[in-house]
Amino acid sequence: MIEFDQRIAEQLSEVSLNSAIQVRVGTSNAFMVTASVLLPLMQMFEMGGVYISASRGAAEIIQALEGIGISTERIHFIDLVSSGILGGTESQYDNITYVDSPIMLESVLLRTLYHIRTTPYERNFVYLDSVNALAIYNEGRMLAEYLHIFINTFRQRDVLSVIMNVPDQTPPGVLANLDLYCTDLVDRGQVVIN
Amino acid sequence: MIPSTSYSRDRCVTGVHGLDEILKGGIPYGSTVLASGTCGSGKTTLGMEFLVRGALAGEACAHFTATEPSVKLLENIRQFQFFDMQMVDTGLINVFDMDVLYSWLGMQKTSFELEDVHALIKAITDIVNTIGVTRLVIDSVTTLCYKIRSEQLIRDFLFTLGKKLATLGCTTILISEITSASENALWSSFGVEEAIADGIIVLGDIERMGHLLRYIQVVKMRGTGHSRAKYAFELTPLGVMMTPMLKWGSVTGQ
Repeated sequence: MIEFDQRIAEQLSEVSLNSAIQVRVGTSNAFMVTASVLLPLMQMFEMGGVYISASRGAAEIIQALEGIGISTERIHFIDLVSSGILGGTESQYDNITYVDSPIMLESVLLRTLYHIRTTPYERNFVYLDSVNALAIYNEGRMLAEYLHIFINTFRQRDVLSVIMNVPDQTPPGVLANLDLYCTDLVDRGQVVIN
Repeated sequence: MIPSTSYSRDRCVTGVHGLDEILKGGIPYGSTVLASGTCGSGKTTLGMEFLVRGALAGEACAHFTATEPSVKLLENIRQFQFFDMQMVDTGLINVFDMDVLYSWLGMQKTSFELEDVHALIKAITDIVNTIGVTRLVIDSVTTLCYKIRSEQLIRDFLFTLGKKLATLGCTTILISEITSASENALWSSFGVEEAIADGIIVLGDIERMGHLLRYIQVVKMRGTGHSRAKYAFELTPLGVMMTPMLKWGSVTGQ
């Protein structure tokens, strides 16, 4: 049974729609933190959104979320992983769009904007999972430029952006830029194992 | 020195997402714009969206197609969520097959001479005038010009056609096929179209680590200031969508 982090919900209740939240996670708590962010956004604030999955295939994330009772019907997934695996795009879910590669950053932005424009929900979020996964394929200065455009694009449109990263797997320059661009920080990057 | 009053030409607001912003309001009315691009770069889709957006605003639009049959073209634009077949039924969108036009004019020949070129200009401008067309797309001017053997005749054809269409208040997009959109490439097949046109919009692909990203760039537009940057673009059911190309990712092959 997963234990949701209630403090995240409290923190989210204080941010405005045009905020950009940096969510720092460790490798072991990434899913729990993701679930703790998504649940209040959809249930408490009745938001819809776009989930950009660069770390795992979207179908796997949907199954994991639904496995703990989080419905994904309000979310459209943009999957940057599965096209790189032959047969990876054969899925039963119709709320997934596949992008050929994580290096096609502009395509990711445009497809996200497209789904935000077509969503039936009044308030929306975009969840980027994750900066460190994008950093595997993209050079630091390009990624920093992208995040700058990404955050400002959604702030301008009153779409809440949530940017997840594992700090020790993210280039320092990119991390420094995230600190600068993001308006809020949810720091769960330091995992203490008892 | 800053002038005390600024003069701005009236614009044909294209309605294409991002393009009017790039053009600071739209294409100056009556302009002839060359949309040059490599295969699969989105030229025809851009041209069709220009027409459908015009029809949505109540303008009469015409498309002369020499590259694919009109039936196939109309099937392809059904993907647009904002397209309605009523636009065709009510005469707001008019699609003409060039082969049919050649047949009407008795011009089913391999090459055109001066009198053929004049007959073609007259036929196109008569259609534009009769229907009251304010937006026109010729797809493609390359295919059409292949039949005109002389460079001088191509120049005369495009110059006269552009002038007449401008007089009729028609804003025209001439689609041009090019084999490469790289920095040293020509923006047209014959090298003369780009000099005659009031504007040039280049569409191409940038290769980034083995993947092709579509881009659009306005390199020339008389009568308006405009961005000359490259924009990445996607073809979606909502039409063309654009965003500035990443500066660190716009070098071919990077």
